[in-house]
Amino acid sequence: MNEGDLQRFERVVLPHLDDAYTLARYLLRDEHDAQDVVQEASLRALRYFDGYSGGDARAWLLAIVRNCSLTWRRQRRVDDRTVPFEDAAVLATDDADAPDAAAVQASEQARVQQAIAALPDEFREVIVLREVQDLSYREIGDVVGVPIGTVMSRLARARRRLAVLLQIDAREAS
Amino acid sequence: MLCDACREALDARLDGELPADEAREIDRHLATCPACARQFATLGETRRLVSENAMRYTAPDVLKARIRGAVARTASPPAADSPRKTFRWWREVAAGLAIAIMSSGITFIAANRSSARASATDELLASHVRSLMPGHLTDVPSTEQHTVKPWFNGRVDLSPAVPNLDKAGFPLIGGRADYVLGRVVPVVVYGRRQHIINVYAWPSSSPEVAPPNNLSRNGYHFVAWRSGGIEYWAVSDLNAAELHTFVSMFAAAH
Repeated sequence: MNEGDLQRFERVVLPHLDDAYTLARYLLRDEHDAQDVVQEASLRALRYFDGYSGGDARAWLLAIVRNCSLTWRRQRRVDDRTVPFEDAAVLATDDADAPDAAAVQASEQARVQQAIAALPDEFREVIVLREVQDLSYREIGDVVGVPIGTVMSRLARARRRLAVLLQIDAREAS
Repeated sequence: MLCDACREALDARLDGELPADEAREIDRHLATCPACARQFATLGETRRLVSENAMRYTAPDVLKARIRGAVARTASPPAADSPRKTFRWWREVAAGLAIAIMSSGITFIAANRSSARASATDELLASHVRSLMPGHLTDVPSTEQHTVKPWFNGRVDLSPAVPNLDKAGFPLIGGRADYVLGRVVPVVVYGRRQHIINVYAWPSSSPEVAPPNNLSRNGYHFVAWRSGGIEYWAVSDLNAAELHTFVSMFAAAH
């Protein structure tokens, strides 16, 4: 790789390390595993940089991170445990003594975090790519390697599960 | 429109992924069907709650430094003195020189011993902060002490200790040559979680003045000590207690 390519890689790909790390954290649910995978994915991205055609570099890197995460899980035989959704009711109703806004915010974050963690892998990844990384359906399809129709149906089912886990049930919309 | 068809399109409507004519059709149905409208509101609320509250993580600086280092190594395999390395090294010195000129302009007026100490802190702080900017942390990124230590040969006029403190939770990240207090000095870089520790070294000059072992400025901590005729300064945003732990292990290991 020559100096120009290297600089282009540093400019185009390396700014997305936070997003790469975020995806790995959600997929692996372990900060040390996530760090190892992001490092490996970055080096793999460097090796395959010739094949990068100039589309959205972030989606391209996220696709590599996802593949490395799956490989990592297979190799380490990380079992496919889903995290039990504990204490949701408690967290939801624990604001009896008028907590301040920050406490409400913190408990909302904890509730959401638990709900996402409780999703099966194939639902969790589309939710994170959509709601956290803000990718389009087409980009999600590219990252996950499925048609857009599959992205839509997984996202729909994931949202409905989240609505149940988070006990969201809108009253008649006006 | 039938409710079944509408329900299938609600997520795409929410995500703005429907063509305009289909979106209008959905909206018309929602205006007349309370059950679908309620489902749409539930999904919208779910989306809002999740996207507003889900964690966005920041990759630790140590990880970013490792990746940048590994990328640099991959690009120019260990040819110890490639033209690029030399170029970068000179650029580093030039940048350091610019800072030294700036800060010496400030410190020129009062160059007595106590302000020399203050200027050491200023310069080390500037150098430390600059080192955290992308691409500035290491000239020789390596977790191997036997790679980092020899790298300083011929680049600086003293050989700093480069102990392996992996087991204590202070992994070696690499080394660089920097320019502070009017000279080129070796800097050994360690990590602790997401924090970076820079260890500067130069020949100790005035034995009658003990180096400060506890200074802080702008949230950064400084610990200095002497060993084997060399004065070491550790600079980090790590909390003071852990920085002292690091220093005592570093000092004990060489």
